[in-house]
Amino acid sequence: MRVLPYDIPDKLYYSKEHEWVRIEGKEAVVGITDYAQKQLHEIVYVEVQKVGANLEQSQTMGTVESVKSVSDIFAPVSGKITKVNDELVESPEVLNQDPYGKGWLARINLKNFNKDMKKLLTAQKYTDYIKEMEE
Amino acid sequence: MGKQLKKTHLYEFHKQTAKMTEFAGFEMPIWYKGIIAEHMAVRRSVGVFDITHMGRTLITGAKSEAFLNYITTNDVAALTPLSAHYSNMCNEQGGIKDDFVLSRLEEEKFLIVYNATNRTKDYEWLVKNAKPFNVKVEDVSGNIAMFAVQGPNAQKALQKIADLDLSKIERFKCGWTKLAGVESFVSRTGYTGEDGFEVFVWNSPIENPANAVKVWRAILQVGEELGIEPCGLGARDTLRLEAGMCLYGNDIDETTTPLEAGLSFVVKLKKDAFIGKDALTKQKAEGIKRKRVGLTMLEKGIPRPGHEVWKNSEKIGHITSGTFSPVLERGIAMAYVSMQHSTEGNAVEVKIRDKLTEAQIVKFPFYETTKYGYARQK
Repeated sequence: MRVLPYDIPDKLYYSKEHEWVRIEGKEAVVGITDYAQKQLHEIVYVEVQKVGANLEQSQTMGTVESVKSVSDIFAPVSGKITKVNDELVESPEVLNQDPYGKGWLARINLKNFNKDMKKLLTAQKYTDYIKEMEE
Repeated sequence: MGKQLKKTHLYEFHKQTAKMTEFAGFEMPIWYKGIIAEHMAVRRSVGVFDITHMGRTLITGAKSEAFLNYITTNDVAALTPLSAHYSNMCNEQGGIKDDFVLSRLEEEKFLIVYNATNRTKDYEWLVKNAKPFNVKVEDVSGNIAMFAVQGPNAQKALQKIADLDLSKIERFKCGWTKLAGVESFVSRTGYTGEDGFEVFVWNSPIENPANAVKVWRAILQVGEELGIEPCGLGARDTLRLEAGMCLYGNDIDETTTPLEAGLSFVVKLKKDAFIGKDALTKQKAEGIKRKRVGLTMLEKGIPRPGHEVWKNSEKIGHITSGTFSPVLERGIAMAYVSMQHSTEGNAVEVKIRDKLTEAQIVKFPFYETTKYGYARQK
């Protein structure tokens, strides 16, 4: 069995666009996955919508740029942004160093997670998804 | 995977150590360690690039000089044997067909090194226009491997494997030397803004990569104590952009003229007839309406090709190249803006994802020339 060189923690949910979701009560903490940061490499700019923005699942919620590339970040869940990680403005490299910890992007007040969940993947499914993609 | 991509002599090395990308029909390294690390290795010490994907054509014959003077914009008569210059080829309208470095190997023998993206177009253009001059036009791209060794320590590294005294080769001069025992041609040229050499491993067909691999590995080995990094196309792009050098297809093409691009230093309107001369003479007399300028961002945000440039709620131009500058640690760009707004120091705005972001027009290169680049204080 091939082991992927990416960290994919068990307790998170994942989108096919490589965002992760951690549920904390009525809120979700969201970020980009280890796979995403490794593909982008050397992240030099991050922009996330402001606190108060209402997001629908799969809608653009921000942008992440490496030296050469620009990628949209898609909201993995629907709801209102209650907090954004301001540290990333000055230190976007944190996204490379700690994508599931200090590199979190935003907290979102969940609107309808039961519906959102249908589009999200478990760690096992996300692992299979990446394996399939890399073949 | 569809079409078959071309490979260079170093393909196996790249595949094992780099993230690869498609460029101009070649499978090339985009980065090994990372664009920023590679970029800074070149600015601070030395880096080596595989640039074998570029086009190389030999022009030989008694009328080589006359032919090249007719097809290029710079003064070929001023080139002495074993020297090189930067130049352009234009169409009849003065639009740039390509930019390149031309080396005079001998009195009647020249080497033209042009962009990978224009290999077919340039070769056909050369052949088509060569007929009346009775010169030989020979595409030798497949028989020569080409590396760039760039950075303030480039000479120090390369000297360890060269039998020629490289300190005697001035900027834009060339010479023949053995490198790690392999017959090579070197020119003190590059696309980074730094001192350095471009190395041509002669008689090195792609089917027999041993000599090219030997020279590449030798460069990495002797450069090790200087912190040499193999560098990919990513760092090549950020380095040339910081140095203010054009990328064909982005900053110049057949719809831009050398005068608009700020390349009038390679257009010699006083020489005899050459392709594009009439159009360029006319444009010079009438004055250009837009100009290529440098922009540095005053706010966070990275300008990218296609972004609009604004001033006083009016669109004044657009970005042709843009990136994050590893030296300045901010966004930088090249843009074409209307003449009346092109003054250095002028405050403008770049429209990044619908947001007008503050920027300033600056001169090239973007870095401080006392600290970086070939003219830095030692």
